[in-house]
Amino acid sequence: MKTYSLGEFEEIVLLTVGVLYDEAYGVAIKDAIEERAERKVSVGALQSALKRLEKKGYLESRQGEANAQRGGKPKRYYTITAFGKLALQQNRDIRNTLWESIPKLALDFKFS
Amino acid sequence: MIKRLAYRFFRWFCHPDYFDEIQGDLEELYQRNVEQSGRMAQWKYLLQVLGLFRPSLIRSFPQPYLTHPAMLRHYFNISTRVLLRQKLFTTINILGLAIGLASFLLISEYIRFEESYDRFFTDADQIYRLSTVQIVNGEVRDKDAAIYHPGPQTLKEELPEVEEATVTYKFDELIFRQGESIIQEQGVIAADSNFFSVFDYQIIQGKLETMLIEPYSLILTESKARFYFGDQDPLGQMLEVLGSFDRPFKVTGVMQDVPEKTHYKFDMLISDASIRERTERESWSFNNYYGFVKLRKHTTPTALDGKLEAFAKKYMGKNPNERFVIYPVPNIHLESDFAYEPESPGSAKAVNFLRLIALFILLIAWVNYVNLSTARAVNRAQEVGLRKVVGAAKRQLISQFLLEALLVNLVAGVLALLVSELLLPYFSQLVGKPVTPHVWNHWPFLLNLLLFFLIGTFVSGFYPALVLSGFRPIAVLKGKFHNSRSGTRLRKGLVVVQFAASVVLIAATFIVFRQVQFMHGKDLGISTDYVVGVNLPDVPGDQREANQTSVQSLSEALRGHTAIETVGGTSNLPGGDGTDINSTTDKVGITGFTELIDGTTYAQYNDEYFLDAVGMQLLAGRNFDRNRIADSMVVMVNHAFLRRFDIADVDRMLGEEVQFDWKGGRNKFEIIGIVKDFNRTSLKSQVEPTIYFPRYAPSNLVIKLRPEQYHQGLAYLQETWAEFFPNAPLDYSFLDDRFAALYEQDQRFGDIFATFSGLAIFIAMLGLFGLSSFMAMQRTAEVGVRKVLGATVPSIIGIFYRDFLVLLGIAGLISIPTVYFGMNGWLQSYAYRIDFPWLLAGAALLIVVLFALLTVGYQVYQVAVLNPAKTLRHE
Repeated sequence: MKTYSLGEFEEIVLLTVGVLYDEAYGVAIKDAIEERAERKVSVGALQSALKRLEKKGYLESRQGEANAQRGGKPKRYYTITAFGKLALQQNRDIRNTLWESIPKLALDFKFS
Repeated sequence: MIKRLAYRFFRWFCHPDYFDEIQGDLEELYQRNVEQSGRMAQWKYLLQVLGLFRPSLIRSFPQPYLTHPAMLRHYFNISTRVLLRQKLFTTINILGLAIGLASFLLISEYIRFEESYDRFFTDADQIYRLSTVQIVNGEVRDKDAAIYHPGPQTLKEELPEVEEATVTYKFDELIFRQGESIIQEQGVIAADSNFFSVFDYQIIQGKLETMLIEPYSLILTESKARFYFGDQDPLGQMLEVLGSFDRPFKVTGVMQDVPEKTHYKFDMLISDASIRERTERESWSFNNYYGFVKLRKHTTPTALDGKLEAFAKKYMGKNPNERFVIYPVPNIHLESDFAYEPESPGSAKAVNFLRLIALFILLIAWVNYVNLSTARAVNRAQEVGLRKVVGAAKRQLISQFLLEALLVNLVAGVLALLVSELLLPYFSQLVGKPVTPHVWNHWPFLLNLLLFFLIGTFVSGFYPALVLSGFRPIAVLKGKFHNSRSGTRLRKGLVVVQFAASVVLIAATFIVFRQVQFMHGKDLGISTDYVVGVNLPDVPGDQREANQTSVQSLSEALRGHTAIETVGGTSNLPGGDGTDINSTTDKVGITGFTELIDGTTYAQYNDEYFLDAVGMQLLAGRNFDRNRIADSMVVMVNHAFLRRFDIADVDRMLGEEVQFDWKGGRNKFEIIGIVKDFNRTSLKSQVEPTIYFPRYAPSNLVIKLRPEQYHQGLAYLQETWAEFFPNAPLDYSFLDDRFAALYEQDQRFGDIFATFSGLAIFIAMLGLFGLSSFMAMQRTAEVGVRKVLGATVPSIIGIFYRDFLVLLGIAGLISIPTVYFGMNGWLQSYAYRIDFPWLLAGAALLIVVLFALLTVGYQVYQVAVLNPAKTLRHE
């Protein structure tokens, strides 16, 4: 089985791109992560993750429309590739297997 | 604003492929933030931009060339090979730079030393000396460093700006007795108990609060304590002081040794209370004391001007021309123009001159490097051409040649450190100051070395690097190479600068020596040959009469000896420093002839033998006569005194009366004699208007020995002295030695000048040697052709000379006026000076011309004697 390298933050970005489906561009992704994962995301971290994912072939991008709010600069929309989907799938599978292998006792915490 | 800067930064570093997208995102976020948080949005924008500065998002930057280790190694290899191949040029460059740098750094160290006087006290810039000045016709005329005894303390009480104040008295000399031995101490001062609040010397033993309170307390410096008491505890010990005290003093404290870097040196300190009798008597009438005040922080001294004037009026009402001034203590050593300084001050002028010499030398060494490297550019042209063909950028070539300069300068720098360390003792001796014990661990020196090594690398390396890297590869590789015309012109210009600097230095040296020689040889108006001055001991008031009897008997005994011509008595020996005289600032005039006028009048007290002993000449009138009863109210005056009143007819003044502005008592003195002017001190000052009063109880003797028998005379003096003054060591000196000592500083200045101009010329000639050798080699073929066509060796040398003579001529045109303006200013500080010696300036130029022609001639000769058949073989 081929392993797909995917970091934790990369995974979140990848998933969010999936969630946003056709509307996934920089600011939208950032907002979505901040809202759903409740964590601050800097443009720098997000962009370098996006570029990395694109380089690995998990994402592809297309240039979108420009508007005045963006100072006349076009958006770039990202979509997950089939390869990206495989990587996500594999990550999920690994986690599932691990979850199932945990003995019941080990998780018997009480949250007080 | 912040946003724009951040934007620019972002645009600069962002990878162009990503720029549009990310910039769009940033802008969108910014717009949203502006709505939410207003001005803070800018900062958030900046924060985001900073967060974007990460390797995955920035564009690629070109690699800086020198950071590539392989390239660096390559440059290093090539540079060392080139330097080693051309040993002569490398040696000349390194030697010149090392000597230049070492001289420059040593002189800088000396200047630093001179300028650091009195700066070691905490709050040194708050310490001022309180001094007295005379205002004559609205101008400050006579500046006297000293102040009245109550001055500083009263000032402290009246002016809130004054934080601390102390008053001190400097003894000429005190005689101490320990056991059997009698020791003369020159560095004794008396000070009040506030002394250490102003000057925070470190106290090693004793209680700071009490050690200066009791009368007859004595504080020793560490080395004096060791001298007198060795390993014993000095505290509480007694030391006997002879002379006017003649009683024991108790050691109450030991302090650190006083450093060389202060204008007020001492090594023993007695309490002010010990001289209370004197200070009470002199109070507001005699200013014989050095007073210092410490102003509160942030007080501007000029703010005190008005208050000081009011203060002077209040206490010096009887003498309305007197003012008090404060003068910053750290400036005293180099800048003071006060009379009666405790030690003869250094000279800011000399320091500036030295700074100039140092710069000259360094400049000459740098010029050598520039000249030799650009001249040799021919040799490197092909290398540069090839490098360019294979793709070297101009910037790369510049860094290569700068690296080469760095190497040369580095070796020179290390050598300079070595040379400075080795020559430091000689240098200290030359300047007469213990500049620093070592240079290798003296960080200001090392810092300077580093700084000037870097500056030197850049100054000397940059232009050659620019020239070398500027060659056009096609032209160069075709073999068509010409030194550019502007390059040759620059080189010629630099040679002119070197020549001119050398001429200036040599001429200045000559002039300094000439002036010193002139002062040594000048007719002083008195004869000091074989005249011995003797300091008579000071005694307490009750012994004064007995002491005078001994002095008279001694004089009589001496006069009786065949080897001694005569013995005179005086208050002040000729040949002392400027302060060794009495003076008054009271108004003075000649009754019936002149008004009473302001100004300082000098006074000396002599007996009737003094005139003969020093060969003082009477222009008119007669000598004192102790047997005439009326002779207690008579004076002699010098010619300068009469000139002050514009009196030309000397003889008419005989029998007239000098009148002082004194209320009550005797204030008129009959003029019985007029003496020819004579210089009592250095020829820097004019002969002062002086009045000679008769006094038969002298404090010094002048003894005129017969030249052919002066050994016997001296021996007899020592013998007889021991007989009459068993408790006081004989303190004598020849008057001409005293005068010579006055010029020691000038002599030293001359020596320093001579040494460093010698070095400067050496470096300049070294450069010229290299340059001419190179030029001669370059024109070997030309010389060969000329010889074939019939030129003789002298005519060939003549061709080369023509170029240099033009340069030398220009150097002469520049340097002679420079010398004139520089040195005439220096000569003007002497009241008796030589005229500007044009001949010597010409001689200096001639010397440089001679050296230059010899150097060039030697090199050209080497080429000119070669057989043309050999030199032209390859053409």
